[in-house]
Amino acid sequence: MIIVIDGMNQHKFKDILDEMYQLRARVFGDRLGWDVTIQDGREIDRFDTLNPAHVVSLNDEGNVVGCMRLLQTTGPHMLADVFNAILDGEPPVRSAQIWEATRFCVDTKKLGRGRGENSVSYVTSEVMIGSFEYAKSAGVLDSIAVIDPVMNRVLQRSGNAPYDYLGTAKPMGKVVAMAALMDCSDERISGIRDYAGIAHDVFLTDEQALQLFAKSNVKPQPKPANFDHKPLSQMEKYFVEQMSAATTQEEVNAVLRLIEELSDKFTPEQKIALMRSPRALAHGA
Amino acid sequence: MKLIDLAAIDHEEKSAADIIDAVCSELGFDYASYATFNPVKGDVQGYANYPDEWKIHYGTQGFHKFDPTLYQSVLSIAPVDWGRFNHDDKFHTVFRDAHDFGITTRGLSVPVRGPYGECGLLNVTRDCSDDEWDKLKRHVMGDLQLAAVHAHDTVMQSGLLGKALYLPALSTREKEILQWAAVGKSQQDIGDILSISHRTVEVHMRSGREKLGALTTPQAIGRAVSLGLIAPG
Repeated sequence: MIIVIDGMNQHKFKDILDEMYQLRARVFGDRLGWDVTIQDGREIDRFDTLNPAHVVSLNDEGNVVGCMRLLQTTGPHMLADVFNAILDGEPPVRSAQIWEATRFCVDTKKLGRGRGENSVSYVTSEVMIGSFEYAKSAGVLDSIAVIDPVMNRVLQRSGNAPYDYLGTAKPMGKVVAMAALMDCSDERISGIRDYAGIAHDVFLTDEQALQLFAKSNVKPQPKPANFDHKPLSQMEKYFVEQMSAATTQEEVNAVLRLIEELSDKFTPEQKIALMRSPRALAHGA
Repeated sequence: MKLIDLAAIDHEEKSAADIIDAVCSELGFDYASYATFNPVKGDVQGYANYPDEWKIHYGTQGFHKFDPTLYQSVLSIAPVDWGRFNHDDKFHTVFRDAHDFGITTRGLSVPVRGPYGECGLLNVTRDCSDDEWDKLKRHVMGDLQLAAVHAHDTVMQSGLLGKALYLPALSTREKEILQWAAVGKSQQDIGDILSISHRTVEVHMRSGREKLGALTTPQAIGRAVSLGLIAPG
């Protein structure tokens, strides 16, 4: 299912965006080898700070499995400022009724082959339906998408072939980037829907998206301080209990100070484990 | 931060006000306004055809400092239905008073982003039923997008610096297609001549028209000829 995250609602979806930036780092940095900036395992560029619209696909478990970023071609966008090599020195198109789609990717690790609901093909179609329907309702007629030849073939096979390309394909990291034109028309949308067998409304409300995402976020409880897999000593058990019972930051600090004072009773590994893992417990409480 | 009524101070630049009026009469809205933020001083400047009493009240109350139709809508790339705003204090403060002046919460804000990252907003409102509103929105969304970008470019091109920065940069394809249109070829013909689809011709044509600030292809040809970008047909 699709949630559109833009500048107006992004404050509600920080965690979803964070997961999306990680997916983009895996795809564009690790797999495709594009020249992108990755920090702390997240791929974020300056266009993300311009309040673009992110079309994000969540699977039934609430994980981010696909995304695409939309920008107006009237303002700063990637074909004008970054991918202009593709245009062979020509100025980019500019129209209120043409949007640019970039950073289109799906999670090939979480998704399988074939055409079922958890397949690359299904999520690709879902993201495209979401973007085209969102664009169409905004009065947009065409989109220009920066994609690689693999994505291009996926589109051609899924009832969603670009009707033309601008400029010429150019090498970009390990692969080639190209600018594909697609109309945001009823014909195209119904073509993709027929191919993917998606008849339902793909959009989630903000509340539904938050609920679905929360499903993926039930983290297993961190185990008490036995990262070294040895049975806990009496003293370690005591500290774990103290830390679990702490309700304020002062109490947590008091326990930490006590651990510090008794450091000579522990191996360095035991100490690190104690300092780290009970704090996670206390933080969760 | 000031609120500047451009129509009151700049008589040469009436055309953005004309666009606002045309939006109302041709697309069926009660009132419309265009606003942009001065990037240097942060002033809000624009045109509106709201009743004068409301404009005065709006300015004296300083609504332009927190009006959600300005500050929320610039965060979106798509037109924002006013129904999407959070109904917080700011919203109620503006729209409670607006109601007293006959302006309802049924409206749309169309955000425009310019090439230098500057933002503009076209706001439209109409008092009507839910059904009527949904139908109207679907029908006029494309035209509103065009009107918004025209109003924005018109305001930005006033002033010499703006004019220099906004000199249209047409691509070879855009010029080529306008040149063929100038000698009377149809879109289908041009597609055949250049061996591209008529949809691609339309995309370049639309982009060329907007870069030239033209509403129609004949107008775009006229401007392109006068700027020396293409030869007379």
